[in-house]
Amino acid sequence: MKTTGDTLECGHSLAELSAYLDTGQIDDPAHLDSCPECQAGLASLRHLSELGSDLLRSDVAAAGSGNDDWMQSILDNLRLELRPGRSIPLQSEDAHDTLWETEGSISALIRSVADALPGTAAGKCRLHGDVTTPGAGITVEVDIAVVYGHAMEERAAVLRQELAETLAFHTELAIQTINITVTDVLEPPTPSKEEQP
Amino acid sequence: MTGSPAAQHQLDLVPDALLAGRAADGDTAAFEALARRHGPLMRATARRLTGSLTDADDVVQETLVQAWKQLDSLRDPAAVKGWLLRIVGSRSIDHLRKRRNHVDLDDVENAVDAGSRPRNKDPENNAVNSSRIEALKTALAKLPEEQRRCWVLKEFNDQSYEEIALTLNISPASVRGRLARARITLARTMEEWR
Ligand SMILES: [Zn+2]
Repeated sequence: MKTTGDTLECGHSLAELSAYLDTGQIDDPAHLDSCPECQAGLASLRHLSELGSDLLRSDVAAAGSGNDDWMQSILDNLRLELRPGRSIPLQSEDAHDTLWETEGSISALIRSVADALPGTAAGKCRLHGDVTTPGAGITVEVDIAVVYGHAMEERAAVLRQELAETLAFHTELAIQTINITVTDVLEPPTPSKEEQP
Repeated sequence: MTGSPAAQHQLDLVPDALLAGRAADGDTAAFEALARRHGPLMRATARRLTGSLTDADDVVQETLVQAWKQLDSLRDPAAVKGWLLRIVGSRSIDHLRKRRNHVDLDDVENAVDAGSRPRNKDPENNAVNSSRIEALKTALAKLPEEQRRCWVLKEFNDQSYEEIALTLNISPASVRGRLARARITLARTMEEWR
């Protein structure tokens, strides 16, 4: 880069080229292609950017794995507050008792059913309807990811059936509809990945 | 925490968006899987920004606490990685502001590179590449503080000018200028070095 200050001999500034690299915008883009000074400046900035990526990779490698003790000790310190969601009343044999379960516990139940199916993992789930009123009609929506190779329609049908049975057994919710959306198709786990600690 | 080892292993295979959705529903195992997945990147960027190994781990922890509380507000769950890095950026700058009058910054910043030698993963290329990286570290350490912050937030945390402006409480035009000055100085140093 033959420069006086930040300005190239062609009149453009390195600051303009720096912004161009980030935004793709510059006053006269046609000039860039034909100007050796700008080409050299851009090459130098791109080289720096690659070196920056190398430094980042080196820093990330030096930071260690997310499965190492440092991360475990951070996770141990977090004490994440629970997200109970809405309170769902339960019938009680004794009228003086007031029993509740939480929306969060229902979500956890739904996830455990979906996760238990081979090659399937639950994503977000939602209970639509007034769960705080006994007998109110509830619609369940569940996102799932399915490993490539499993028949998705069939998987959704099996899960819908299992969720209906489990929710009927463990809850008093009046489930009207269970909607299952396959949001992701996952790569099958590779042997090398399974060997990782 | 919830989640059997088998379930955790399964969570390691699913995409960010799904984990973020589960975590927003209150699934701590999914949140921990996200933390483990992006922890090294968060730690690395916090180290480069704060220049302190201890502060960096505090920053990662504060970031995760804030992320857990605010996951509901994340509109695009697939963008959770960038969102975490933005929080790391803000928390790191907060740490620097708190520390400003207490410690000689240069001493602390040098501690990072003394304490974290990169691993030798590619022996053939390693000598040349790692000496280039060392030269970049030295050049970075000599930059004015505000320029270095802009550069790291852009290159490591992948933030836009507007996001960096919010994090540093300066205008986007200042970000553009400082980033350009940082790059010009670094590029010149590296050219001389090459
Ligand atoms: Zn030019």
